[in-house]
Amino acid sequence: MFGYVRPFQSELLVREYEQYKAVYCQLCRVLGKEYGFLARFSLSYDCTFYAMLALAVSGQEVCEEQGRCAANPLKKCRYLKADGEAYQKAAALSVLLTWHKLQDDREDEGFFKSFGCTLLLPLVSRKAKKAAARYPFLAELSEAAMKGQKAAEEKKAGPDECAEPTALLLQGLFRELAGENRGQATALEQFGYFLGRWVYLMDASDDLKEDAEQGKFNPFLLRLGLSGKGQLSQEEIRSAEMACNEALNATAAMLLPPLNLMDLERFAPIIENVAQKGLPEIQREILFLHVKEKRRKRLSEKQLSQRL
Amino acid sequence: MSMSDPYKVLGVSSSATDEQIKEAYRNLAKKYHPDQYAESPLKELADEKMKEINEAYDAITAQRKAGGQRSYAAGGYNPVGNNAASGFRDVRSLIMAGRIADAEQILNGVPPERRNAEWYFLKGSVLYRRGWLEEAKDHFSRACQMDPGNGEYSAALNQTMNQRSGVYGGYNPNRGMDGSCNSCDLCSSLICADCCCECMGGDLIPCC
Repeated sequence: MFGYVRPFQSELLVREYEQYKAVYCQLCRVLGKEYGFLARFSLSYDCTFYAMLALAVSGQEVCEEQGRCAANPLKKCRYLKADGEAYQKAAALSVLLTWHKLQDDREDEGFFKSFGCTLLLPLVSRKAKKAAARYPFLAELSEAAMKGQKAAEEKKAGPDECAEPTALLLQGLFRELAGENRGQATALEQFGYFLGRWVYLMDASDDLKEDAEQGKFNPFLLRLGLSGKGQLSQEEIRSAEMACNEALNATAAMLLPPLNLMDLERFAPIIENVAQKGLPEIQREILFLHVKEKRRKRLSEKQLSQRL
Repeated sequence: MSMSDPYKVLGVSSSATDEQIKEAYRNLAKKYHPDQYAESPLKELADEKMKEINEAYDAITAQRKAGGQRSYAAGGYNPVGNNAASGFRDVRSLIMAGRIADAEQILNGVPPERRNAEWYFLKGSVLYRRGWLEEAKDHFSRACQMDPGNGEYSAALNQTMNQRSGVYGGYNPNRGMDGSCNSCDLCSSLICADCCCECMGGDLIPCC
């Protein structure tokens, strides 16, 4: 979806990093197998995290396998295979979210991008229908999130209301992982709510400057009384980013307590790394180091092609 | 969970030393400590976990004849409590019972001219529990502005401000990720120091 939910690599053990990569590669493989080669491009850190959490909560047995990368046959890859539906659900989610995003882009973006989206859309639609038929709850949750977000943004609501649909999406996704275990469901849904909220707010913070220049809606601009001002001064941007960082901190502070209460059968250090170190690191990169969106994209594409 | 293996509950092997057990217990107690969960629906689960590790720790210490039983008092800090002088006692008890939607409904029915500092505090508490942290902060601030001397309101505002600063999660720009000092920090500090010296008539770095 956005790629903000990922571990802080330099704080992972090498073994943990390899496990993470093996989950990432396995998800890519499942995407290719179930939804065709194109679907591999929807692979994201967010869905990898979802797969990882699903495996961690279910305690499903995993086994490692060596193989060759689909994109780069010269490269050897490790895959962490598992029984159960963790990867299948993550793959379906990935396809569904990409489909929604394409639809969204077609409406929002300029001619050429929307032209591209229109070409891709029928292809992706077919796959999305397949994913929705297999996992109706995923389709319902993602559909509700997209509609809710659109409605909130059209209404020009504040950050809390705009973030709620994404928060509820992750809340629903994570609650489902707990199955019948009610205690765990509470912890997982709280964690999901605030992680989803964090993702939305991070995305809004990331787009702040661009939205201001293009006169687009952004809940933070509205809250800080900066909407409709066009180009912002350096100080205005600085103080807006500090306000965003505070909102993100408050949200991050709320997602750590439920994480403490979650029973994770495996990957606990990786999941804790994401929440405790990965998220703050993204805040730092975007709001303080201003790692440009483009550069990040280029970087992640490079990493992707290396792994594929 | 039945208390079959107290060592498993604490995540240590049965051959662990007393020190290791104490450390494992301390780490878990920190994780499950009720203070963090006072404001949330997780309280019950946290109390349960806390009870589990307390029992496990007690069982091990008893087994090892280390003597002293220990128990941890539950019930942490909770900004919304009973208040005899309250004009919104019904709302307070609803919040304390976790019936957030009902509490909010009553609060929303209060006409604007009757919305005092306590109303803003309680509305802030409701928003906080729903995860609407930005608006919760606004309401707590308003409550504090209207009644600056009130300890209950300022405690709630302080807590939200602390969370926003990044000490409980997220990124705190005033404290490096790992507390390290890189060359950039060093240079900028030196330049700052130089500027300060120059203001006062001295000079730290003669060439600039």
